Amino acid sequence: MQCFMCGTEVGDNKVCFNCGADILLYKQIIYTSYVFYNQGLEKARVKDISGAIEALKSSLQYYKYNTNARNLLGLCYYQVGDTVRAINEWVLSKNLQEDNNPFADRYLAEIESDPGLLNKLNSTIKKYNQAIEYCKNGSRDLATIQLKKVISQNPNLVKAHQLLGLLYIQEGKFADARKVLSAAAKIDANNTTTIRYIHEVKDRLKDQNTSRRRKKNDVVSFNDGNETIIMTEGSLRSMLDNTRTSLINIVLGIIVGLLICFFLILPTVKDNMKDGNTKTVLSLDETLEEARSENETLQEEIKALKGDLSAYDDKQDVATSYDNLLAAHNYSAAGDTKTACEYIQLVTKDVLGEEGKKAYDNLYTELSPAITQGYYDDGNSFYTEENYESAIINFKNVVDIDEDYNEGAALFLLGDCYRLTGEKEAAMDCFNKVVEKHPSNKWGRQAKVYLAADDTELSATEVGE
Amino acid sequence: MIDFEEEIKKYEPAIEVEQAEEDIKARDLTDLTDLLVNISAQNAQNNVAK
Repeated sequence: MQCFMCGTEVGDNKVCFNCGADILLYKQIIYTSYVFYNQGLEKARVKDISGAIEALKSSLQYYKYNTNARNLLGLCYYQVGDTVRAINEWVLSKNLQEDNNPFADRYLAEIESDPGLLNKLNSTIKKYNQAIEYCKNGSRDLATIQLKKVISQNPNLVKAHQLLGLLYIQEGKFADARKVLSAAAKIDANNTTTIRYIHEVKDRLKDQNTSRRRKKNDVVSFNDGNETIIMTEGSLRSMLDNTRTSLINIVLGIIVGLLICFFLILPTVKDNMKDGNTKTVLSLDETLEEARSENETLQEEIKALKGDLSAYDDKQDVATSYDNLLAAHNYSAAGDTKTACEYIQLVTKDVLGEEGKKAYDNLYTELSPAITQGYYDDGNSFYTEENYESAIINFKNVVDIDEDYNEGAALFLLGDCYRLTGEKEAAMDCFNKVVEKHPSNKWGRQAKVYLAADDTELSATEVGE
Repeated sequence: MIDFEEEIKKYEPAIEVEQAEEDIKARDLTDLTDLLVNISAQNAQNNVAK
């Protein structure tokens, strides 16, 4: 082995005897670099590319001339789709060890042998970078489309898989995310980012499945008569909601119906009632008019019938009057003046003929004093009995026949009957006539007293004779 | 729970073919042996000076 400082052959010595450089330390550094290289190689073999890259980077930090480590690092980059980095590592490898570097030669030769490969890779990288920009700008749909294209062109680009998986997670497409991330894991088995995303997807899917299972388990069962009904809680709630909605609809329907009745039907009914009432009133008016006209007709008929009846009575009265006149004549001739007076008063003079009237007048003149005396006696009797109404009738008959009858006694008693029945004016008339015609007799003086006292309330006894 | 916005920030654009040369030039290829050489060289200079 040569000294790393002066180039002197040092063999197995720990220190260069020429320049004193620490050969042991130098060997340890190179040894450590190879240790890392071996680790990287082991990891790369088990497709732990990320781990391999880290180990190989460490190896090259110890000893940059570890060409195997650099070539392997390039290969790891190429494996995860980072082709430019891979080429860079191989180019550096070739520059650092131009000779006896078959791997770098081979890799670079393969790339150079396919002129379109670089363009294709470059296009893919540009699309990937554009997808990152889309994501940062919030255009996730465009980013997803771009990443799908990138993956189709460069299926090994793990970062594209990861980014697409992240987008799927964000959109809630966990199954798609799992698929993409599984593909990434197949390329780079131990990538921490991929593993983190896969865990996230698993957790989200687990939550989803739990909630679905919970939904499935939310079963409600109840008995309806002899039947047991089983339904999910969601269905039961939906059914109850529908029932509630139906009830609300029914109530609303009733309210709307009542409003329609109130605003549309009731006014019509009222109008009809008004029309009906008007018609009823009109018909009643008509009926009343008919009744009135009928009443008038009936009144006319009654009048006519009364006329007929009076004519019939007159006809009847004619015979009766003649009979009574004959009876009065016979009793007068027989000397029974009183009975004769009774019969002659039953005769109606107007229905008699000329001869009958003459006979009546003759007999009446003959019986007149007896008739007058009869009225007067009856009047006195009623007066004594204080039946002044009947007394008035009899005294009035006397006065009509002879006003001065019995020296004005009949007239005075008529006036006194009027006085006693409260007919003051009629009483005063009678008393005035008595005073006028018989001023000096007892009836005249008594009448004067009544007139002077102007007190018709006094009784005859109180006034004195 | 993954924060999408924070996660997106972690993604950096991949190196394009046109940027490959610059990337190589920008590389710091200094390794531990280089440091050891420098340290040893400084030590040798110090010894000569003494």
